Amino acid sequence: MDGLVRFSFYAFAASSMAIIAAAIAYVVFGVGRVRVLRQTLATSTGHTVTSSQLHQEAGPIGFARWGLMLTWFGMFFAGVAIVTRWIAAGHFPISNMYEYSLVFLFSITLMYIVFERAYGVRQLGAIVMPIAAGMTLYIWSLDPNMREVNPLIPALQAGWIMPFHVGSFNLAYATFAVAFAAAILFLVAERTNAKWLPSAEMLDDVAFRAVSVGFPLFTLGLILGSVWAHDAWGVYWQWDPKETAALFTWLVYGVYLHTRTLRGWRGRRSAYVLLFGFAATAFTYYGNYFFGGLHAYGGV
Amino acid sequence: MADVSVKTNPKQSRSMLEVAVDKIWRFFTSVRNAVYEIAFLTLLVLIGTLRGSSVPQWIADTIPALQPLVDRWYAWDVWRSSLFAITLAVIAVAIVICTLNRLPGIWTTITNPKVSTSRGFLRGAETNAVYTLTGTHEDILGSIERVLKGKRYRVLTEKVGDETHFYADKNRFSNLGTFPFHIGLILILVGGIVASVYGFRDNEFIIPEGSRRNVGHGTGLSVELNRFRDNWSAVGVPIDYVSDITVYEDGQPVKSGSVRVNGPLSYGNATFYQSSFGIAAHLSIVDSSGNMVFSDAVDLGLFTKRDNPDQPAGVARLPQENAQLVVIGPDSDPFNAPELDTMQLQSGQLWVSLESLGESTDVTGSGGEGVVLTQGQPTRVGDYTVTFEREGRFSVLQVGYNPGIPIFIISVFWVLGGLIITFYFPHRRVRGIISDGPDGTTASIAPLAKRDWSGKREFFTLVEKWNETLGTKPAIRLPANATDYDYLRAHENDAGI
Ligand code: HEM
Repeated sequence: MDGLVRFSFYAFAASSMAIIAAAIAYVVFGVGRVRVLRQTLATSTGHTVTSSQLHQEAGPIGFARWGLMLTWFGMFFAGVAIVTRWIAAGHFPISNMYEYSLVFLFSITLMYIVFERAYGVRQLGAIVMPIAAGMTLYIWSLDPNMREVNPLIPALQAGWIMPFHVGSFNLAYATFAVAFAAAILFLVAERTNAKWLPSAEMLDDVAFRAVSVGFPLFTLGLILGSVWAHDAWGVYWQWDPKETAALFTWLVYGVYLHTRTLRGWRGRRSAYVLLFGFAATAFTYYGNYFFGGLHAYGGV
Repeated sequence: MADVSVKTNPKQSRSMLEVAVDKIWRFFTSVRNAVYEIAFLTLLVLIGTLRGSSVPQWIADTIPALQPLVDRWYAWDVWRSSLFAITLAVIAVAIVICTLNRLPGIWTTITNPKVSTSRGFLRGAETNAVYTLTGTHEDILGSIERVLKGKRYRVLTEKVGDETHFYADKNRFSNLGTFPFHIGLILILVGGIVASVYGFRDNEFIIPEGSRRNVGHGTGLSVELNRFRDNWSAVGVPIDYVSDITVYEDGQPVKSGSVRVNGPLSYGNATFYQSSFGIAAHLSIVDSSGNMVFSDAVDLGLFTKRDNPDQPAGVARLPQENAQLVVIGPDSDPFNAPELDTMQLQSGQLWVSLESLGESTDVTGSGGEGVVLTQGQPTRVGDYTVTFEREGRFSVLQVGYNPGIPIFIISVFWVLGGLIITFYFPHRRVRGIISDGPDGTTASIAPLAKRDWSGKREFFTLVEKWNETLGTKPAIRLPANATDYDYLRAHENDAGI
């Protein structure tokens, strides 16, 4: 490994440690304190009755603050890893799953921070950051050869479009992760009326806002992808499985947006559509494992 | 009986038609049905996508009884199926009808909204603010209006008895945003249809260096290859190859540029891609009376000698002479199957043979009448004198002609623009009544933000500003989830909140 590439790898390692630590901190905060409240009552007949009750409270806020700081670290070092690798390779790092996933790490930490700042719902971190942490574990599990810089196969060398195509998709995936987290919290809040969570209405709004950021980005990603396909292969759309998997995901979020305008669907059913949508997102992301075809990256 | 039915039938059938139209109209205007339609399309896309993977096979391996179904799954080309086309068509129709149906209502909201409201609405709203003030309605309205205008609201007022009602909204065009978006989706489909009906693709458009070739298909375009350049790595792998071309339209040069792998050149709806390249021979052919009948490059690449695939071949056509000259070049890889190289041509030599036009595009090179040319030496071939002037190269381009491109580009702007308007400029509305009562003048204000968290948050920021301009704090009815709002949290201990 050449010096800068190695530096980039260490930056990734630092980022992944920060992200895993952030995930732990947020989970501790999110799960909160479960306390058993025991009450002893003396009854008029002279007996004593003990009743015990599970009681959940928000976890120590300090953990969430730590979590946020570690998330900033994770984002910063992921950014450093991308930029140094970009410099070392001479092209935007998207030539294999290792590089592609670095972009995702940056995107998900960035989007998480944006949404925590906008709404202050720190419990989201207890779901989003473990997803990010899972992603770092996935990156560690990839073939170490991918950490080397290899020349880009010609099809991926398409100038300025590629970074925007990949960037908008990754940002969209990241916001969909936020929407997914909000949908889960929504379902919890709606059922349990949990005091440690914001209102279901607010969580519904968080999810919608996340999709209202992610859906246009995803749309842009699809469009840039087709423009790029036109430059590279001469056709805008080939019905390649990776393309249609993205179309599938896009349509699921289209369904979500319409359910929100329907009485009786908005709320719980919309939240279920979001859970399904995130599964579709993961399917698109890991589509390379299912399909051959034009989007098969080096090493996957 | 018959009499009666004859009399009522015309009227009845018209109303039945009306009923039918009404039913269809309602079917297509229902957003609930739209959800089902999009969900069905989503399902089709999933089925088509998985067809490109081993997932169906995995299902059959797990549940062997499903094997026949899985076989049919793999056999079904979803994207070209009529079910898929019909689904898209239904969605397109639904979008158009839904748009037509909603437009008048939305337009009224924009241009002529209802200003007056009722106390019941204000009192029943999830959240509201009631200010108790002194002053004239005009002064109070002025203060309220200043805040709203500062936040880009439009304010409309109406006197109802001795009350002053007002309605304020911002981003009133937001609800129109879904129209360009949905229409843009239809336009993308239209672009795809136009491309597949009127477009074409030519995967082997060959131009020798220095020559010009017609694109054909009624485009009036032709392309000249000015120069071909290639770079090779030390191990003999081509790194880059570039064709410098000029595009002509109706004989006039209209665009020049280079075409490389992944770097196409577009002119209008035509796009030229670099595909591959090969060797071309520049020939001149002079007839017995000394007239030049051919002076151009012949690409040796489309054909090979039939019994030796390493020998490239080509044809020079002489339509006026009703003749063609078959040209075969030297073996390009002498170490591969040397026994096939019966001609033993050296570099700088060509084997040619004269035939009548169109006799056989299948270049056999096995005819006896062949003549070997040596570069620069005029040689008699039949009634002609043929000279192998020099060796050059040809470039193979792909030509894509897609008249759907302008439609696609326009629809992209519509789709993205529509999304931005819809999502980032949401319509916000506030209603209020200023009235006189025993305790003074009250201004009751409420947002139209049912189940709209952000809408209520915006209202609270307005309240904060009104508190400043009106110089007092209102009685606020808090939404059930009041603690979610930073503003309220910060003001929890203040009087009135
Ligand atoms: C079946 C045909 C369709 C019909 C009848 C339809 C109808 C509508 C209507 C009436 C709205 C406005 C809802 C409101 O503002 O209250 C809407 C919003 C929207 N639709 Fe569609 N639609 C159709 C297809 C699609 C498709 C295929 C997509 C893309 C996946 C799509 C994406 C959207 C989006 C992004 C919005 C904005 C949602 C929002 O304002 O929150 N629609 N649609």
